[in-house]
This record gives sequence, structure tokens and C-alpha cells, in this order.
Amino acid sequence: MPVPILKQGDTLIASIVAALSDEDLLQFRDDLAQKIGNVRARGVVIDVTALDVLDSFATRTLRGIAYTAKLRGAETVIVGIQPEVAYTLVQLGLTFEGVSTSLDLEEGLALLAAKKQARK
Amino acid sequence: MRAMGLTRDAIQRRRAFVGLTADDLTEIAAAKPAVQSTVDQHVDAFFGYLANIPEARGVMQNREALGLARQLKRAHLMAMVEGEYGEAYVEQRLKMAQLYSQVGLELAVFLGAYNELLHSLQSVTGEHFPSLCKVAFFDLGVVTDVLVYERERVIRIQSEAIRELSTPVLQIRDRLLLLPIIGVVDTHRAHLIMQNLLAEVRAKRAKVVVMDVTGVATIDSKVANHLLQTVAAARLMGAEVVVTGISAEVAQSLVALGIDLGKVTAIGDLQGGLEDAERMLEDD
Amino acid sequence: MSELKIQIEREIDIIAARQAGRQMAGQLGFSATDQTLIATAISEVARNILIYAQRGEIQLEQIADGTRTGIQVVAADEGPGIENTDLALRDGYSTKNSLGLGLPGARRLMDDFTLASELGHGTRVTMKKWRR
Repeated sequence: MPVPILKQGDTLIASIVAALSDEDLLQFRDDLAQKIGNVRARGVVIDVTALDVLDSFATRTLRGIAYTAKLRGAETVIVGIQPEVAYTLVQLGLTFEGVSTSLDLEEGLALLAAKKQARK
Repeated sequence: MRAMGLTRDAIQRRRAFVGLTADDLTEIAAAKPAVQSTVDQHVDAFFGYLANIPEARGVMQNREALGLARQLKRAHLMAMVEGEYGEAYVEQRLKMAQLYSQVGLELAVFLGAYNELLHSLQSVTGEHFPSLCKVAFFDLGVVTDVLVYERERVIRIQSEAIRELSTPVLQIRDRLLLLPIIGVVDTHRAHLIMQNLLAEVRAKRAKVVVMDVTGVATIDSKVANHLLQTVAAARLMGAEVVVTGISAEVAQSLVALGIDLGKVTAIGDLQGGLEDAERMLEDD
Repeated sequence: MSELKIQIEREIDIIAARQAGRQMAGQLGFSATDQTLIATAISEVARNILIYAQRGEIQLEQIADGTRTGIQVVAADEGPGIENTDLALRDGYSTKNSLGLGLPGARRLMDDFTLASELGHGTRVTMKKWRR
């Protein structure tokens, strides 16, 4: 498993610690999809704090992973985008359209909890 | 020299400006023996005059600088009557001028002493003096340009520093930042502001940023796009940006330009914006 | 070190190239933000090499221009070449399945950008960034 996925309540937390190969990312997507189903997760936090570069490929892939998660009934939050990376994404004109982003794990979990609350 | 635009062509043009002709060179050649044999007298005239001016303390009391200046002045006077006024000659003048700039010798003071120097030269060159005077004015052109250039360089550095300092990010309360932008916002400054803000968002864990543009000189489509970029980038870091200070007229003209401020919470005044921000934080 | 070449044949080479770029930029005194911009631009063009030409090279070089210092990144390959370079530089355009953005994106991040391509012979992207 290239990206370790931890469970906290009905939320899954995945920390990407280094730039992954295409294969690893696809593996991660499949692992995540499966786990969401297995534990009936309602939320996913993907932590990209360790990524010093988010290029168009990585961004597209993460969006795709969030979409897959949604198909399985889970809301995704991407956290830990660094200032320089956020700046670069905006210069590139890339967005995480439709995917929530928060400052860090703590904020991401809070956001998911708030969304769950709102759905009730 | 290149930075100041003192190319061979430019120097040639400067010689033309003072009307230096072949006849002048003949006159100067005739004056050469007299000047070179009395060179120390002229160096003394220049620095002796400066010694009586309190404002020239900078160079007169700095032993090292004074020694170097006298050396350079002597070399200059010898070269002044050689008849060669090209790049090497100008380079020499530049060095002198840069030294004056470093020790803080003011232009007005320098000109007073230079006038004294010219009197001294006139006394030994007689009828040949008018031609030598043309070279003197050529020299003055270079020296004054150097002193002005150096002064402007300092101003450039200082205004850059002021620009950086002039957009502080203030923490109003926990998780809330205020970014008041004042003055002209060009692309470079806009990028600096954005980078600084994003770093603060992380450092202070901000959830809301109130960006006030009341003091921004002109908000055209370029500036508006920078604002939109800042909002988007902050959002990637989980912070919402409330833009305040966009008047109704500016808002309308931006809409007319096709700028979509749709996703941006734009409030008229700062007070309203801060209240809105507080509400946003409470909602969590 | 003022010149460096990285062969691009596999994905991990993309990471190597951008890390080398970041390091050189850091040594040249570029800010952290600019280092990220440069590394990301390298990532975009290096990935383009893999997708369209399967193999190629990233060349990094320190450059100077009067009083300025900068970094030059060349992405060169001997692939099929780009038929319509104007079209390739337009946002969102790509002949492959994935949405483009490689070239227009990289151009936005760098100061100077030129694209030279010849059908059947290859492509050469030259990008420069100057330190302010």
C-alpha cells in the first residue's frame, strides 16, 4: 500500500509523504475506494503537506480520487497545501473545483464534521 | 558605465555637446606643459577651497578618502590636457565621482571647489583656457550624472523597502487577518502581497482574511485579477477572503470589464467587512 | 555547478529533474516561491516529454544577462514533434486523452518561453526565469 490510510470514526485519513508514481496513485485510488466501502466511511482527508510540488497531473489525479470517493458516498477534503504550492496552482490556473480544501488535518476534520452536521 | 548608458557613442555625443573641435585639441596641447608642471598647485586649490567649507567635512576629515581623492585629482588633471577624452578618461571621472558620492560630498559644494580649480587653471593657461574649459564642462556632465544616478539608486532601494513594509498583515483576533492595501499595486507588488499573505495564513492559521482595498490607487482589470488570484490561493489553504473597499462605481466598471467577482465576498466598507468576517468565524 | 542534464525515460526521472531544478534555483538565490514555480514548470514539460516522446532530456543551466542572474530550463526530445505549436500553447488543448496544460501552464510560470518543433524530428522547449 503506497499511501497508508488510517481510520478515525467514519473518516479515513491519508497522508501523502512523497511524490508518487502514476501506478502508486492509481493503487491509492483503488485502495481508498475499497476501504470507503468496507468501513462505510463518510469522509476522507487527504494530507498533501509533504508535497512541495503539485503539478497539473497531480492536481487532476487528486480531483479524480475525490470524485471516486464521492461515488462511494464519502466527502473529501484536501489539506496541507503549502503557501508556495497554493501560489503556483493559482498562477497555473488550476483549481480543485468542487473539492474542499482546508489548512491542515485538524481543520479538515472540523470541516467534515460541520458538513455532516449540516446534512442532518 | 554600461548601467549608466556611457557607451562609446554616448561619450562621443557628449564631446559634441560641449563643441570640442580639432582646434580645441591644438589649444589644449599648447596648454599641456604649463598645466602639468603646476599640477600640484591646482590640486591644492581644489582641496584648499573644500577645507574652508564645513559641508565638505566628509571628504576632508576622512584621511584615506582624502589621500585617494588627491591622487585621483592629480591623475585627472594630468589626463585633462592629454587630448584623449574617450572611455578610459570617462572611467577615471566616474571613479572620482563615485568616491565623492561615497563620502557624501554634495554637488553644490563640489561645484564651488571646481570653480576654484578652474580659476587656478586659467591663471596658467591664459589664451588657451576657453578650449580647456570645454573639457571642464564635459567632466562636469559626467560627474553630475554620476552623483544623480547614485542618489537615485539609494532612493530606489529605499522605496523598494518601503513597498515591502507597507503591506503588513495584521492579526485582528484569533483566526482573523486584516490586509490593508494602500497605494499603487503593480504586478510585482501584487505577487509579493499574495506570497506574504499566504505565509501568514499558515503561520497564524487564519480562517478569514479581510483584504481592504479602499486605499488602492486604481483598480483596473489587472489589479482585480490579482485580487481574484489572492482569494483563490487563500481558499486553497482553507481561508476565506472578504474584500472590502470596492465602491459601487468600481464594482460596476469591473463587471463591465467582464471581471466576475461572483465568488468573492465584496463588501463596501471595512467595518462591514470585519463584522461579516466575525460572523463567518462564529458560524463554525 | 552551472549546467546539468537529466535524462527523462521514466516517471521517477520527472521527480529527479524537478528536484535538481529546485536545488539549482536555490543555489542561485531564488526565493522559495520561485523555486516551486521553477520545479513545477520542469514537472510539466518533463511529463510532456514522457507522454509525447517517451524519452528526452531536461537541461538546466545558470544564465546571466548584464546584471541579472537566472536559470534556463530546456526540455528536448526527438519525438514526433508538434504539428501546430500555436494550438499546443493554447490553454486546454491536447491530442491525448488527458487535458493538456503542460505547455501553457509552464509558460505562465516562467519569464521567457520559446517552443521549437519539427514534425518527425522533435521538440525543444526553452524557458528562463530571472532572479529579481
